[in-house]
Order: sequence, then structure tokens, then C-alpha cells
Amino acid sequence: MRMGNRAGVVTAAVVCVLLLFVPQIAPHIHLAISICTEVLLFAMAAMAVNLLVGYTGVLPFGNAAFFGLGAYGAGLTIEYWHVGFFSSIGLGILASLIGALLIGPFLLRRRGIYFALLMIAFGQVFYFIAYRFTDITGGEDGMNFARPAVEWLGWQLKDENFYYAMLAFFFIVGILFLLLVRSPFGRSLVAIKENETRARYLGLNTDRFIFVALLISAAIEGLAGACYGLSIMFAYPLMLDWHNSGNIVLMTILGGSGTVFGPFLGALIFVIGNDILSSAVPWWQIPLGALFVACVLGFPKGILGTVLDFFEKRRGGFGYEARDTLHSTVLSEREIQP
Amino acid sequence: MSGVIFSAENVSKHFGGVRAVENVSLAIESGSIHAIIGPNGAGKSTLFNALSGFYRCDSGKVRFKGVDITKAPIHQRIAMGIGRTFQTSSVFPNLSVYDNLLIGLQSASKYAFRFRPIGSAARKTIEEKAERLLDFVNLRDSARRPVAELAHGSQRLCEIAMSLSTDPVFVMLDEPMAGLAHAESERVVEVIRKLHSDLGLTVLFVEHNMRVVLSLAQHIMVLDRGRMLAEGTPGEISGNEAVRDAYLGKEVVENV
Repeated sequence: MRMGNRAGVVTAAVVCVLLLFVPQIAPHIHLAISICTEVLLFAMAAMAVNLLVGYTGVLPFGNAAFFGLGAYGAGLTIEYWHVGFFSSIGLGILASLIGALLIGPFLLRRRGIYFALLMIAFGQVFYFIAYRFTDITGGEDGMNFARPAVEWLGWQLKDENFYYAMLAFFFIVGILFLLLVRSPFGRSLVAIKENETRARYLGLNTDRFIFVALLISAAIEGLAGACYGLSIMFAYPLMLDWHNSGNIVLMTILGGSGTVFGPFLGALIFVIGNDILSSAVPWWQIPLGALFVACVLGFPKGILGTVLDFFEKRRGGFGYEARDTLHSTVLSEREIQP
Repeated sequence: MSGVIFSAENVSKHFGGVRAVENVSLAIESGSIHAIIGPNGAGKSTLFNALSGFYRCDSGKVRFKGVDITKAPIHQRIAMGIGRTFQTSSVFPNLSVYDNLLIGLQSASKYAFRFRPIGSAARKTIEEKAERLLDFVNLRDSARRPVAELAHGSQRLCEIAMSLSTDPVFVMLDEPMAGLAHAESERVVEVIRKLHSDLGLTVLFVEHNMRVVLSLAQHIMVLDRGRMLAEGTPGEISGNEAVRDAYLGKEVVENV
């Protein structure tokens, strides 16, 4: 294993251990456990967005539709069908997947900015559905629902327990994500991001790959949305809104799109920064906006991307992309003998 | 030579009122090297893109191995055994040369859509193939470098190796010498020659550089204002008055 990889593995391990002790640490740094849970859930949503932005090269500016569909999917099935905790999450994911199946075929006809705009438009359709069907969804006011008891436990997850359940989801999604982007499929996605025309001329049916990436992304984001709904016991139309999409894309790019752990870092900074600043000053959105502008102008690879690049260059490498995306993990660790 | 492998019948491609390619027919014998030449704006690139599926033909038919591929999507054409390169090298710039090749190799061996890692036996086959391709274009020393950092000529060679990674029998090269310095173009010429002589591939290329065309091609097609002006062996073409007037210029021909 290379030095760079080892440092990455150690950092990831330390972060994982820290996450395990968050319920013990948080009170000492005046952090509500619900905010920590929120970080995990938005980190999952950002991971879903990252699969599309950072690994496939399409811009999901309507991604919050999947987030909101997850939340409403869970909320509505709890409210009307009285399903249990995990069933409601499963049904939230299903709702999100159905949404992706419906809009995917239309999105695939476009690329670049047109894909992004079309996706915003579709996302807003879901927003207006939630907004208008007041009888069912509660309309603008949103809908309250109780967090159901876990099926086989018979009791409700709260505070720390809820955090640990979300942490388990976060770890599972994180590991699956890591395996996914390092699989042959993940490499094909990177090829599409790098140069879709060339990928086609290497025999890849790129529409099929992008569609499947969209479905996976929607499933992850549906999971995040369903869990977020359960965490605040509330679903409201703005969850589906393009404003929320923008926030999640911002977290992804801020942390470092195209890196496995960047979105987590982005969500951490965004959610906690939001929490601290919004309670301190009325103009709390300005510093976040400035941070985003600085990031796009100065560090287009995001915080983690820039840090990885720095270490890789100092090591005499060629930048993390040439190392991390593919060949250190691809088909072989074998060095080519000149 | 064993019959026609690739053919086009009355292919046309219009952009609005511009008839970029008008009723062009061609037939390419298996195992030969064909070149398309013509002045700027003659429709060479348009024809090439129409034949390779990048554009949809407005009319006409394209056949490969006897099968009508006029409406076939690009990935199907690749699976049937066609490879192509572009006028401006089309590669994965941030990935290493080795990874550029692996993308095509995993696609050719039907692993591109796989979610699990590739088994060790298949992996070994793919690695060996990658190394053979590296040797073929002489890029072994640059294998681990991102393609974006290579010289223009090496990028072009990498692209040719990529187009070979899917095991084509017919390769289409769009202006392989475009923008290359003399020494670099020599390397590329040598590789194209080897495509034909060592690998036995059928080659179709578009080129501006007449010296290259006359030395490589067995058969030359001249395009002018979207139509086929003439075709024949290099000898016939350089002796053709109409071609001379339209395009070649006296001096070039005499220098060959």
C-alpha cells in the first residue's frame, strides 16, 4: 500500500471512531445530538449527489426531489398505512426510486446544463404536487407524523439510539459507495465523466450507465431523506425545492466532489456552520456564500480534493485524480516495468 | 483481400441548407488501407462522423460485414469490431495511460457494468493485453502518467491504442497527423503501418498531409464540396488532372 493510501486509511479510521463517540463528545462542545444526526444524513445525500457530480459528470440540480420523496414516502406511509420504522424508510427509498424511474428517461436525452435545468424543472413538479395536494400532504404547512417504533424492538429510537441507527446506515452506505466507485462499473462512470464521447467509442452504452447511476443516487438520497423526515418527524414542501438541491450540491463541491469522503466534510461544515452562524447573526448566509465562491474560484476540487492534491504533488505524484480514481485500485496493484 | 468489409451507399448529411456530404458511396476491402482526402470544407470530417455513427445519416446506407449499421448506436458498432479516433485526441485526460486502456479493455471483455471486482484470471488477461498495447504504441515509459501531461504525439498514440483495446477489425482515424511535429508524425505513421502489416486491420483515415497519404494508402478517395470527386490508387490520384486542380497543387505531387 502506498503512503498516501495509508494516511487516508488512518484518517478515515480516526473519523469513524470519533463518530462512534459523538453522543459522548457533543454535549461538551455545546452541540445538539440532532445536529450531529443531521450532518450524517446530509452527508449521505451529498454522497448521492457526488456519485453523479463527481463520478459520472452530470449535474443533479433537482436532486432534492429524491430527498423529499424519501421524506414524504416515509411520512405518508406512516400516517396512512401505519408502517413501522424500517418499513417507512424502505418505502421512502422506493418512492424516491419510482421518482427516478419516471424522470430518468427524459433526463437521459440531455447533457450538461440542459440536464441540470430539466432536472430542476422535474424537481419543482414534485414540489408543487406536495404544495398543492393539501388534503394529503398538508400543503405548505407540511405534515407532522410520529416516529414509529422499530418493528422487532417494539420501542421508539430516540436521541442517541437514533443517532447510532443513522450512523449504521451512514457506515453501510459509505462502504457500499467505496466498493461501488472502485468497481468496474464505477470506473466506467469516471470514464463517462472524463469524456463521454470516448466512452461511447469504447463500447459503453453511456445512457444505461448514467441511468443506473441516477437510480443508485436516488436510492441513497431517498434513504437520507426518509431518515431526515423521521429525525424531525416532519415533511414539508421545501425539502423538495431546488433551494435544498443547491445546498446539497454546495456541500458536495465544498468538501470535494469526486472524493469519497469530501461530501461528509462538506456536510459537516455546512450543517454545523449553518447552525452556529444562524443563531449568532442575521446575515449568516453571507459567509457561507463567500466560502462557496472562494471554493469554486480558488479550489474547484473542494477542500478534500485540494488537500489530497497537495500531498500527492509533494510526494512527486501527478495529483490525486490520476491515483485515487483508478489505478491504485483498478485491476492490479502491479507496477509496470519500464 | 477478401471482399468488402465496410461500405456506404449514397450517404448524405445536410446541416440546414448546407449539403456537407451528398450521395457519397464507398467500399472498403478487408485488409486494405484507404484514405479520404480533400480541401478544407470538403466534408471529410462530416462523412467520417456520419460513417462512424457520430452523426445520423440523412439518407443512404452504411454496411459493416454485410450488416446494415446505418442506425446502429455507437456501442453496438464498437462491439461489432469498429474503432475510431478523433481529429483532436479524444482521451480521458486525468487518467493515466494505463487506465485509459483499461476502460476499453474492461468494456471489450464485458466487465464494464460489473459491480464486483474482476476475478484474478480475467484480470491477468486484461493486464497482459494492456501491456501489449503499451508496447505496440511504445508508451510503456509513460504508462502511469496522466494523458493530459503527455506530448501531443503521445496522446495521439494513446488514443490509437485505446481504439485498439476493443479488438476492432476496422479502424477509422480522423486526421491522425493533425497538429503533429514532423518527428512525432513519423512515429504515428509507423504505428498506422503496423496496424495494417502486423495486426492485419483494415484502416480508413482522413488526412491532409499528402506525403503521408501517398506513402500509406493503397486506395485514395477525393472529396470535394461534399461529393466524391475521384478515387483510385495513389498513382492514379496523383495523375488525375481534376484532383490536381481541385486540391493537390503541383509541387506536392512532384516531391513524392
